[in-house]
Amino acid sequence: MSVEYLKEAVAANDRERLIRYVRLHFGDGNEEAGRKEIDKAWCEALKLLIDHAETDREAILSTIEKNDPATLAHLYFRLHFYFIERSGEWIHDGRL
Amino acid sequence: MTVGSEIRQQLRPGLWKTVNERYPGSMITKYDLVPLAHLDKPLSECRVAFVSTAGVQLKGTLPFDTVHPIGDYSFRRVPTSAETSDLEIHQLKYPTAGAEKDINVVFPIERLRELVAEGHIKELTENFYSFIGYNMDPERLERTLAEDIAEAVKAEEPDVVLLAPA
Repeated sequence: MSVEYLKEAVAANDRERLIRYVRLHFGDGNEEAGRKEIDKAWCEALKLLIDHAETDREAILSTIEKNDPATLAHLYFRLHFYFIERSGEWIHDGRL
Repeated sequence: MTVGSEIRQQLRPGLWKTVNERYPGSMITKYDLVPLAHLDKPLSECRVAFVSTAGVQLKGTLPFDTVHPIGDYSFRRVPTSAETSDLEIHQLKYPTAGAEKDINVVFPIERLRELVAEGHIKELTENFYSFIGYNMDPERLERTLAEDIAEAVKAEEPDVVLLAPA
């Protein structure tokens, strides 16, 4: 797996290869583990909202408005690990 | 084996081919000969540097970017005078439990200082160097990170540079 692999997948609009890469990244080389990690992060995020907790929408909109798409993409990956940490189920060998 | 024949032999010649078969494009491919370096004076007269992929850094410095899907192409200088309690590891791709107990298992800063104190090594460079090994763009790794570290290490004028993965 490499940037070259990803560029080829983007050029071919091969979403399966792209999501496979993301799963391998989140699963430390294990695609099935990565799929579960993605589900785990989304569940953790959802759990925080089901009780109508107060949220700062202005902060959300401002973050999106003030930052470039690449920074937001980076944040998106960072948020995945944030919610994984919150879940208390840490599968990775090291730490952020 | 004579010194001459050793120089003409590639170090672990099948390694790059093997890794690239399993992880296409993830490794820098080298077909040119990289000659083995020979030490031309005793270690006790040498200034030694250390370069590691362990993700070791001084506490309080910007953590290595362990979440970026393509990797982090920066490095950190680690003063060789640093206390191990001032160091930490930011890395997701190798087990760090042992290193968290004793960082010397991946970053032997105290062991090397001991070798200096015992006279086996003349001295250490002012800094050691550290980065993380999760880098999915081998061309960028070679073009930027490797060049940047090489330049920084060379400026410290070591006689010996130890390279260690984690």
